[in-house]
Amino acid sequence: MELLNQIDWAVIAPIIVIDLILIIVALVDLFRRGETNGPKWIWLLVILLISLLGPVVYFIFGRRQQ
Amino acid sequence: MTLLAVNNLTKYYGKTLAVNNISFEFESGRCVALIGPNGAGKTTTLQMLAGLLKPTEGTIQFQQDNKKDDIRSLIGYLPQFPAFYPWMTGREFLIYSGKLSKIPASEVEKRADKLLERVGISEAKNRRISTYSGGMKQRLGIAQAIIHRPKLLMLDEPVSALDPLGRREVLTLMEELKNDLTILFSTHILSDADEVSDELLLLHQGEIVEAGPMDELRTKYQTTTIELSFENNLEAYVAKLEQLSSVVKTSVDKNIVHVTVDSIEEARQEILTNALEEKWPLTDFSVNRASLEDMFMKAVNG
Amino acid sequence: MEWITLFNKEMLEHWRNFKWIWVPLVLILLAIMDPITTYYLPVILENVGGLPEGAMFEIPELLPVEALMMSLAQLSSLGVLVIVLMSMGTIAGERKSGVAELILVKPIRYLNYITAKWSALLLIVWVSLTLALSTSWYYINLLFGELSFTDLLLTIFFYGLWFSFVITLVIFFSVISRSPGLVAAFTIITTIAMSIITSLFGKHLTWSPSNMSGHIEYAIVSQELTKDLMMTGLITLILIGILIVGAQQIFIRKEQIN
Repeated sequence: MELLNQIDWAVIAPIIVIDLILIIVALVDLFRRGETNGPKWIWLLVILLISLLGPVVYFIFGRRQQ
Repeated sequence: MTLLAVNNLTKYYGKTLAVNNISFEFESGRCVALIGPNGAGKTTTLQMLAGLLKPTEGTIQFQQDNKKDDIRSLIGYLPQFPAFYPWMTGREFLIYSGKLSKIPASEVEKRADKLLERVGISEAKNRRISTYSGGMKQRLGIAQAIIHRPKLLMLDEPVSALDPLGRREVLTLMEELKNDLTILFSTHILSDADEVSDELLLLHQGEIVEAGPMDELRTKYQTTTIELSFENNLEAYVAKLEQLSSVVKTSVDKNIVHVTVDSIEEARQEILTNALEEKWPLTDFSVNRASLEDMFMKAVNG
Repeated sequence: MEWITLFNKEMLEHWRNFKWIWVPLVLILLAIMDPITTYYLPVILENVGGLPEGAMFEIPELLPVEALMMSLAQLSSLGVLVIVLMSMGTIAGERKSGVAELILVKPIRYLNYITAKWSALLLIVWVSLTLALSTSWYYINLLFGELSFTDLLLTIFFYGLWFSFVITLVIFFSVISRSPGLVAAFTIITTIAMSIITSLFGKHLTWSPSNMSGHIEYAIVSQELTKDLMMTGLITLILIGILIVGAQQIFIRKEQIN
């Protein structure tokens, strides 16, 4: 893959790290929380499968405001 | 000393009249029950007293040492459906409430811990409130309402959402608090009012239909009936009863004679004397006590 | 003392629900996304294919200030959306859930209640924005050429005023409506309406807060603190002040429940 060689990983790495942190924090919150807006397993998929946007959508809409 | 005096309090929601020109007052040290069916205006009245709603008309006067004091510092209030910050622990919420009520920082933690002990949730004090049961939340609610030692504690339907066990716990707690505080609480359950209150305010369709100390109201609404049953010859004795001077009228229902009288004392004397002398075959003799339900029905129906 | 208590509670809440982690990270992503993808666009296009053999896709060299404007453009659209959504429940949610009923019977000043929440949100937004623009600035210097530190500070300061204005709108509408969803909708609609009106009557509304990005760009290009930028900043500050006082006045007059 030429693409992989051409990209400077020092530039891209921070984005990947930020994405990972978002996913981990969202998962920690999901497992600690008693109830979410809608089924938990759907949020699990959203957080894991939708890159970058998934955790953000979970933080904004996933948590029930009591 | 009058703690609270309410004059001509009226509240409209738009065009709907929720509270209609009510006036009442009570002294410190009393436990006052605001009784009425759902929709009678109980919650609206309490919310006006707590300063959450603005009266359309009328005045609310607290006895206060310094007129400049914020009235809210003199009252503790527990709404009907208290909501907390679910992410806080019970202890954190109580300390937060205390700080907002101007308890000195040096004292607030100590007071919170004592209070958590007193309301019986100290073993759960470091758990998040989202894990609390209804009864625990209600007790935390009472704790946050009394942490600043208010002069008046107002509780809106404090037990109606609880299961029998939680209800018993909260009523017992109120019974204890009565000794140190003036309590005004609303309920639609008459037996709860009967159990803890000294004074009643009967609210119906936004109006106070009856008010006064419990004993006075009991006397006032005491039903003047005596019920008698006989082994046999019912009609003969009914005829005899009707001739007694203290008896107003009689009615028979399923072998029980209901005797309406003017004065319980006189009638009891007269009936029992006759019964002894003539050897009536009595199987039952009872004086009917007024229940709060009867009292309420009478007051509402005029 | 009372204000500090209220403020500390907000900070604790924002920490416990991880706002302090995800809001900065999301703004950083938004700020660096476009400059980086633009830089790598030729590489990406080449590899994804679709370009005929030999065809060269010329992408004009991007100036550092243009890259910075890409960051601001993302922050102005998705960034505004994110900060509105993360703050919409701060007062409205408390009134909706009923916990406000417990708090507002305490002898507190309503102004403190409002400004403590407002300040806590502003702190998150300013810290997040500073991190986001600094990261973007770092990448721009790496990929597109030099942009001075002063330019960065100027951008953070004036763009921060625009974000502060948005947060103040959220607070203002929270006092009016009890529904967090409506609060967010009103705020977004207001910012969109402001930018439409500003572009329609551009000549008369040079100092509209919606023009902040444009004035920042011009100031960086001309390398001077322009009068237009300063006036826009001043107008934004005045509007923020009016909205906060207005919110407090409405809050005092309005009944706190029902």
